[in-house]
Amino acid sequence: MSLVRTDSFKSADELSNPVREALAATLLSLADNKRILGMRYGEWILGAPTLESGIACSAMAQDEWGHGRILYATLKDFGLDPGVLEHDRPAEEYLSSELLDSAVEEWPDLLALNLLFDAALSVQVEALTNSNYEPIHFKTRKLLEEERFHFEHGRGWALRLSETATGREALEAAFRKAMGPSLRWFGRSEAGFGQLLQAAGVSAGTADSLRQVWLDRVVPVLAEAGLEELATEFEANAELDWSDWDADRRRGGSGGPDAETLARIRGDKNRSMLMD
Amino acid sequence: MGHLSGERLYEIFARQKRADRLEHIGTVSAPNPELARVYAWKTYDEATWFEMVVAPRDAFCAVNRDEVPFTLHPVETV
Repeated sequence: MSLVRTDSFKSADELSNPVREALAATLLSLADNKRILGMRYGEWILGAPTLESGIACSAMAQDEWGHGRILYATLKDFGLDPGVLEHDRPAEEYLSSELLDSAVEEWPDLLALNLLFDAALSVQVEALTNSNYEPIHFKTRKLLEEERFHFEHGRGWALRLSETATGREALEAAFRKAMGPSLRWFGRSEAGFGQLLQAAGVSAGTADSLRQVWLDRVVPVLAEAGLEELATEFEANAELDWSDWDADRRRGGSGGPDAETLARIRGDKNRSMLMD
Repeated sequence: MGHLSGERLYEIFARQKRADRLEHIGTVSAPNPELARVYAWKTYDEATWFEMVVAPRDAFCAVNRDEVPFTLHPVETV
């Protein structure tokens, strides 16, 4: 009996072209979304409702930036330069969600990113844990341990806000905006990156099956928070609106991070201080 | 630590190794146990803890003294 899996890939070169491209795009999408999500958490360090939640935002920001760093670095194996990816791309080359394009104005909107969108990213990372693409194996464990607490933070705050009618309404409005983009982030059901990666054993699920994993995780929390209607609406309604979907960039609309966001995530202001 | 209405104080205990005793390391204010766990883990992250637990301060019973536990001044009530 051999412990070596014959179908495993030790480097990106061993993947077929379409699978390599789909995996690179998935890793870049995860990295870009985490880089900007980290900034969104960071923007609430001082404005969060309590000192403790400000500290939690600071910790989640650091976690996301760390995850982004690790994910950008994985793209070296695909012939991409992490330095260029991190510091030298225009907005239209970012594979980031429309949910992250500009700063979040209200706390419930941050919670929507925290509970819904962050969880979507985690579902995809989990699906890479036992990937046939071996270089990703050692990158996911710590990341997912940290994400457990991000989800609990979102859940704890959803429960807290749902204690009052005003809180529940604010939560529902914010979550309603983020449900569609989070569900769509996994991609279309028909032939696409999800199917390719699953067939190659690189990712554990297709777009549809990962979407279902996400729903199974998020819907019970929505129900706990008294948002059963919202949960049922999205669970029963498999018909997502794909009219403005950009499959290559895994986002709705042709925009990208706004100018201020872009300058900050790329580190434009301090570019002259880059030493390497 | 902020103690808003609807929030409780949670006492945090942790140990770095299985062989260690749980030690009281701090306090957080939180509206529910879910957030108490997150706040505790994210606030007191100076060590790699083998185990961390939280309990609401008001769950502790005084044994030999009359005042409630975790008070610095005997007259203070939380």
